[in-house]
Amino acid sequence: MSQKKLAFVFPPFASDYPDDPFINLTGFDDCFRKFLSRAAEFADPDLIQFSLSSNNFLDDELKTQYISYIQACSLVSWFREKGVIPAYSSGYSMGIYAALYQSEVISFPDGLLLIRQAFKEIKKVTGKKEFGMCSIIGLNLDDLEQLIRKEKLNLKLAIQNSVCSFSISGASEDILRLTESAQKEGALSTRVLNVSVPYHCDFLKDTAGGFREFVNQIQFRSPKMPIVSLVDQDILLEEQSLKDEIVRNLFTSLNWYKTQLYLQELGINRFVECGSGKGIVKIARFIEGDAVFYTANSFTISLDVK
Amino acid sequence: MALITENTRKEVTDIVYNFFADECEVDIKDIHADTNIINDIDGDSLMFLELIEIFKKKYTLDIELKTIGKYSVKHPVQTIGQLIDMQLLIIEHENKLLELDL
Repeated sequence: MSQKKLAFVFPPFASDYPDDPFINLTGFDDCFRKFLSRAAEFADPDLIQFSLSSNNFLDDELKTQYISYIQACSLVSWFREKGVIPAYSSGYSMGIYAALYQSEVISFPDGLLLIRQAFKEIKKVTGKKEFGMCSIIGLNLDDLEQLIRKEKLNLKLAIQNSVCSFSISGASEDILRLTESAQKEGALSTRVLNVSVPYHCDFLKDTAGGFREFVNQIQFRSPKMPIVSLVDQDILLEEQSLKDEIVRNLFTSLNWYKTQLYLQELGINRFVECGSGKGIVKIARFIEGDAVFYTANSFTISLDVK
Repeated sequence: MALITENTRKEVTDIVYNFFADECEVDIKDIHADTNIINDIDGDSLMFLELIEIFKKKYTLDIELKTIGKYSVKHPVQTIGQLIDMQLLIIEHENKLLELDL
């Protein structure tokens, strides 16, 4: 059952795990364990020890990215077995690798290799400097940019999620100062994210050369379904444009707000967040339009494909 | 400046209780005025923001989010009862909310 009005969205990495995020997906655990076992073989043997309740790796940035990718690919496989194929997919932040897997552009192990190499290139560029990210909700873009200028903070817009919701990247010290100033300015929610990297901004532009060289060694195939870019909302249909996308994804500001509005224009009225959390579903509360956003669990209930 | 009647208070209370019962997947009977939004029912600030949007649409309110944010810094909301009181103040005073502190 190809779903013409359905899009899969792949989240980046988890900051926490809810209890039983896949409780309604019968047989999902077996599917996940198979992917986990392959990932342990290709990327890191420790991954096999993963457990949502007792050993979830949330203190390890790279392993957390692997786990989100493995969960996403397991969901793709599980839904595919049920005949659920979306019309479009999109990768939010580091979710881009799972979107490539969903569209059959790359193999599962190659996604793991890309994640590892991207992280390696990023760490090469950031060195021992302390970086971070934060989310600010309740101020508009002008207010936020004005605040950054006024406080003379060296920070960059990483992701726009809605008219009043943003992720910001930069030096850890400046990130903390921004969260304090933003609260005084009237932000309704500020949160320092559990990352040590200033994703999606030009602090990382020097990753381009090394990462591109690596990406060029990976076999990319033509996508079986279109992927929509979070950078400029282009529909990506060529292998080369997909390679370019994952290189620029590291150091270019993303706009999820515009991307999902564009997907709605294309006729998408249901989005499924293919991960364990519901970060993207929560963000959707502040986005106009009639589209419905589901978690994997709630979508499964709506389809009755258990 | 809107007039807050008993009817408005009941309407706002019903919306808030139903909203949290739905969002936090708890029985509406378990929600009370002194229910702590974060500790007792696992709510979050995004839910607060969504409620504001609901009330902005319902009562056609002219209020900027940052005005509510500034007011919240001085008057933090922890319980359902406090949240209802704040929503009523927002409906009553809109963008003049901060003048209450002058």
